[in-house]
Amino acid sequence: MKRWQSQPLLMNRRRFLGETATGLSSIALTHLLAQQGMLRADQPDQTESAPWRPSIDPRQPNAARPPHFDAAAKNVIVIFCSGACSHLDTWDYKPELLRLHGQPMPGENVVTFQGEQGNLTRSPWTFHPRGESGKMVSTLVDHLGELADDMCFIHSMTSKTNTHGPGENFMSTGNTLDGFPSMGAWVTYALGSENDNLPAYVAIPDPRGKPQASVNNWGPGFLPAVFQATDFNATQPVRHLQRPESLAPDVDVATRAFLDRLNRHHLETQLPGDTELAARIASYELAAKMQLSVPQVSDLSTEPDHVLKLYGADDTENPLKAAFARNCILARRLIESGVRFVQLFNGAYQTGGEGTSNWDGHKVLEKQYSVHGPVLDQPAAGLLKDLKQRGLLSNTLVVWCTEFGRMPTFQKGASGRDHNPAGFTCWLMGAGVKRGFSYGATDEFGYRAVEDVATVYDLHATVLHLLG
Amino acid sequence: MQRFCARRWACRFAVHHGLFADLRVPMLRLVTCVVLVGCVSSVVADESATSRPAAEVSYETSIGPLLKENCQKCHGAERQEGGYRVDIRQIAMKGGDSEEVAIVAHQPDQSRLLRVLRGTDESGLRMPPEDEAEALAEEEIKRIEDWIAAGADWPDALAGDADAALETDQWAFQPLQQPTVPQLQDPWVASPIDAFVLQKLRATGLEPSARAPGARLTRRLYLDMLGLPPEPAVVQSTADGGDALDGDLLEYERLVDSVLADFGHGERWSRHWLDVIRFGESDGFETNPERQRAYPFRDYVIDSLNDDKPYDEFVREQIAGDALGVDVATGFLVAGPYDRVKSPDINLTLMQRQDELADIVNTTGTAFLGLTVGCARCHNHKFDPITQEDYYSMQAVFAGVNHGERALRTPASQEALARLDQLRAQVAATDQSLRSLAQYCRSDQSRAEGQLREPVNATGNVEQFAPIAARWIRLQIHATSGSSEPCIDELEVFGAVSGDAAERTNVALAKHGAKVSASGTLPGYAIHQLKHLNDGQFGNAHSWIADSSGAAWVEIELPAVITIDRIAWARDREGQFGDRVITGYTFEVATEHGQWQVVASSDDRRPFGDSQPNPYAFVQQLPAEHAEHAQLLLAELDKLRDELRQLETLAVPMAYVGNFSQPGPTYRLYRGDPMAPREQVSPNSVRVIGELGLGTDAAEAERRLTFANWITASDNPLTARVIVNRVWQHHFGVGLVPTASDFGAAGVPPTHPELLDWLAAELIKHDWSLKWLHRTILLSNTYQQDCVPRPDCMAQDAGSRLLWRYPPRRLEAEAIRDCVLAVAGNLNRQAGGRGFLAFDVQAETVHHYFAKTDWGPNEWRRMVYMTKIRQEQDDVFGLFDCPDGGQVMPTRSRSTTPLQALNLLNSEFMLQQGAAMAKQLQIEYGDDDQAIIRAAFQRAYSRDPDADEMRWSCELIDEFGRPAFCRAILNSNEFLFLN
Repeated sequence: MKRWQSQPLLMNRRRFLGETATGLSSIALTHLLAQQGMLRADQPDQTESAPWRPSIDPRQPNAARPPHFDAAAKNVIVIFCSGACSHLDTWDYKPELLRLHGQPMPGENVVTFQGEQGNLTRSPWTFHPRGESGKMVSTLVDHLGELADDMCFIHSMTSKTNTHGPGENFMSTGNTLDGFPSMGAWVTYALGSENDNLPAYVAIPDPRGKPQASVNNWGPGFLPAVFQATDFNATQPVRHLQRPESLAPDVDVATRAFLDRLNRHHLETQLPGDTELAARIASYELAAKMQLSVPQVSDLSTEPDHVLKLYGADDTENPLKAAFARNCILARRLIESGVRFVQLFNGAYQTGGEGTSNWDGHKVLEKQYSVHGPVLDQPAAGLLKDLKQRGLLSNTLVVWCTEFGRMPTFQKGASGRDHNPAGFTCWLMGAGVKRGFSYGATDEFGYRAVEDVATVYDLHATVLHLLG
Repeated sequence: MQRFCARRWACRFAVHHGLFADLRVPMLRLVTCVVLVGCVSSVVADESATSRPAAEVSYETSIGPLLKENCQKCHGAERQEGGYRVDIRQIAMKGGDSEEVAIVAHQPDQSRLLRVLRGTDESGLRMPPEDEAEALAEEEIKRIEDWIAAGADWPDALAGDADAALETDQWAFQPLQQPTVPQLQDPWVASPIDAFVLQKLRATGLEPSARAPGARLTRRLYLDMLGLPPEPAVVQSTADGGDALDGDLLEYERLVDSVLADFGHGERWSRHWLDVIRFGESDGFETNPERQRAYPFRDYVIDSLNDDKPYDEFVREQIAGDALGVDVATGFLVAGPYDRVKSPDINLTLMQRQDELADIVNTTGTAFLGLTVGCARCHNHKFDPITQEDYYSMQAVFAGVNHGERALRTPASQEALARLDQLRAQVAATDQSLRSLAQYCRSDQSRAEGQLREPVNATGNVEQFAPIAARWIRLQIHATSGSSEPCIDELEVFGAVSGDAAERTNVALAKHGAKVSASGTLPGYAIHQLKHLNDGQFGNAHSWIADSSGAAWVEIELPAVITIDRIAWARDREGQFGDRVITGYTFEVATEHGQWQVVASSDDRRPFGDSQPNPYAFVQQLPAEHAEHAQLLLAELDKLRDELRQLETLAVPMAYVGNFSQPGPTYRLYRGDPMAPREQVSPNSVRVIGELGLGTDAAEAERRLTFANWITASDNPLTARVIVNRVWQHHFGVGLVPTASDFGAAGVPPTHPELLDWLAAELIKHDWSLKWLHRTILLSNTYQQDCVPRPDCMAQDAGSRLLWRYPPRRLEAEAIRDCVLAVAGNLNRQAGGRGFLAFDVQAETVHHYFAKTDWGPNEWRRMVYMTKIRQEQDDVFGLFDCPDGGQVMPTRSRSTTPLQALNLLNSEFMLQQGAAMAKQLQIEYGDDDQAIIRAAFQRAYSRDPDADEMRWSCELIDEFGRPAFCRAILNSNEFLFLN
């Protein structure tokens, strides 16, 4: 006999057999309501000492849940420029950089991600005052600059890391480490969705591929998988969405009707009232709805020419820009359809080395940004204008962000800027956000946030605050 | 007793780690939630510090009452906002959770308390809070300032009990109880488990459910314990048509023992443990390369569970296996993600190291102790009696652990190592015997002494031999450097004519009438032609390359018989190329074609690339009487050396189990910032439970071993409770403590505390045998209950937490995939070893993974063998709440999404398995659809179809075929549910 077999059963088996039938047949039906307090483990008591958790119906995990207080924003679009988009070549105007161009940065010798610094270097793009606010914006993002009066800039952002993977983790999840839930996951966990036939949370990867921290940016972390984003874009549909071509439509329909019949029969005859089983039956119905609604929302053929033109989706010279523009149109259509949270990625980590397909301009910043700028600029501006003209901006919060900033210097021996988590820019726009406003500032070179220093936590808290 | 965390910050989800501060940009206001904080080092004030003359202020009559009146409401015995209290001297001085200096004697300007009272602290914090009370009068603040300046004298009698702060009434920290098993005279009670469960049920007015039908119970047992459905034959044999088990407990007990003895048990349950300890087989973060040798740890877990390794031993080995002769077990320490992207930036490097250690500390605290120790990285724990010092003390335990591979000293490798020693001795002895034969050599001294010729080289080799008549000269090529096709730029043959050597000419030149032939020429290259061999031009551009990398030959036919004595050849006399050098060859000559005589060979050259002479070259010169013996010795030596070489590369396999080095000092880091070190800490445990008693200079392995022993000491209140709860959780879907890795105050208390303690105490008594625990649970009537919902019970306890029935639930991703393959007849039961990949990999600096679209038997192994790539989920099953190993995952969520449905309906993988299942059934049952349907139900559900199901199934098959039917079965709720 093995070690673990040594524990005898307490009960005489024969006696058990004799009495089981009667012993279990009389089931007490008394409702001892007073005792229900002990069941709170199912629903942890929502006192101050216990973490707050939303109450989620497994049959409709994405059902809308009320915010804590009146929310300014109902939906969110995050435009994430992957690779660390330089604030000094876009939003953060530094006259001192023009004046001291080519000179070493005063102060200590800074060693950054890839090593030593060369001299201070002005942006290859010029800055102009834009809109009524006169906000100085670089010509790299000329179209977006038109909307400067609607934007709320945070120039004093700081990050905790200067590596892309952890940096994207941090911006998207609030933690530099792998394995934490993304912003969209906590938002949909808390608020659910207004829409019951589309995913509550959609991530739209760049036409060139996934960002550096890949699915971490929209993962569920330790939250249920239902709260992760469904990732697709205008060219790559949801995986396994459609019936494979090898299956005839009538076979598919009949199989699913049979499956539904089996499942309902099983629920009724074996486990009546089981919510998880009911939820699975519902999920197959939802899947069928999604098979119709996702292609519908992704079908841009109904968009009129002037809209395609607004976004630059008709640009035949620049197919990459046109592809990103289509992603931008998709983002608007998703928001229109009631999707709670949309993440729109610009830039991907792809073959070809740093900065080629994203904003990681270490070596040849001017050349690479000359590619990336036009891809982002008109399409994203088109999205914002479109949201505005359709009145969607009043309850949609747009967040433009990137994992960290770049140095005011060029790297020693290179024509690009190294990583800089000490100061960078993000902006917000739309629902409840102060228009044409700039918050915080970096120092005279744009190296370090010095005024009203803001953290990624602050940014996240603001987003949550606006969502109620 | 004062509860440690009577009232702390409501640590809401996400707010805690993501959203600590609240920035309202539109309102132009930055309000940061800051905790009053202080620094330990200030407790002992520097007496010699410049002290300002100050009026004598009494704590007893002046300061104490002032603090009490204004602060104690929130910072006293009742509440400790920010972990700060003014009624205990040590804490008042030291500061609160974020541990910034509160009071530094003699140094008012270093004392944060004053800044906070005046609202001048950089955090913007003012106390008392602006919305609650007026600031203290400047006169009062000045009084405190004077008191501090005078030395902050605080009489011992009024110091308060500092230790009180480290006491706790949290249930999990209390010693294990030995609860009395309730004596219930009820036939349902078959085990103490049932007694505890029934007692609680009765107290709530509920009754347990009847025993589940035999077939259902068999299926439950298999899915739960093995993660696979029982073969219909098992259901038949144990139940005689599905029902006999109902009446036969002995039969059930045999079934329980059989699943406990099944190898599949370890394969199934290892996954539960691997979740808890965030095991992954890639680095994660942005580069995410695969760890090709992480799998031995996975096999170690499988084997440990199957071997019923006592749990305490299992724990000790994972923390300090290197010190216990189980190297592979320390894979636990480095099973987490690792940021491989390094930088010259010191800030980054230090933070990365802190993150690595945080991963280890957090996982250790969570996995074994059920504590969220990681929360104390930046501040004292908000809910539990875990200080920031505890966190860094635990970090000091693991400070010498580094990511990477290490040689495994397994029993097998130990054996091999012993053999290695033996071999080396044999080689030395044989070498000695062989060398001693050198004395018998004949006169050719140069060779007898091992003076072999130079090795061949690329730029020019000469073969000199006694003059010999030749019409044909043949070069036999045996070996070429790099195993490539050999190359010769020119082959020269010199005649041994009398007279001045300078007059000798290359008789092999084509222009002199010599003809060249060869075994073959590499096709397609104008610069590599056969005719180049004797065209008189040197260099790669005029060379010949054979068409074979193996044996090859070249032959030159002279116009007439000529006496020759020298051959010269080279790969590239111009010295541009050093590859394709012939390293093994024979030159032969003949006057009659076919009658070859060897004139030179590579045998008397030292090996290619070897600058050392061959010490055994003399063997060839030995007289016959010794030559045979020498050849035997030489052969023996070759054999030994071959074995030696093989063993040296194989004997000590490497695995991703971490490396260890003696660490430097560990410091407490203010707010977790590596650039803000505070006092040094020694390796220690969570002090509220116990101490390790190690010094700051303790040896690296000793730190971990001592810590492991502390965790597994029988008086550690957490370890046994935590593992019992985890095992319970996987049997019943939810643990007795539902927050399986948080036994602290933020967790949820147990539904059955006495049962938990009884099981924990008994587990220790049973030598920590997990199989004992499984068996005890499986044999309880609680486990054997039916799962059918009863309205009255549902109304009271919908979650079945009180166990009035067996709680049904969806299977996990791995079990679903394994079951699909099993039912389709495709499951490959190959156990252990290197896993299989679900992805095609693009291996660059950053690794990209693309879901495979083609599967075969190699991918049809159990999913525990699917290489666990972080961030990338299996294309079909990942969405079933499969964790990715980024963080500890003690309890998987169980979500239901339309995307899961789409994956099971439409993925190629599932369609392939559905078709395979249909084909398999057809092979077995031909065209008998009823038999096919019955078999499918038995395999998937362990039961026969009822009349309705049979009818619907027949209808579907009639019109739409068997694959459609199988596709539906594999998607069905019943198939995916454990009940």
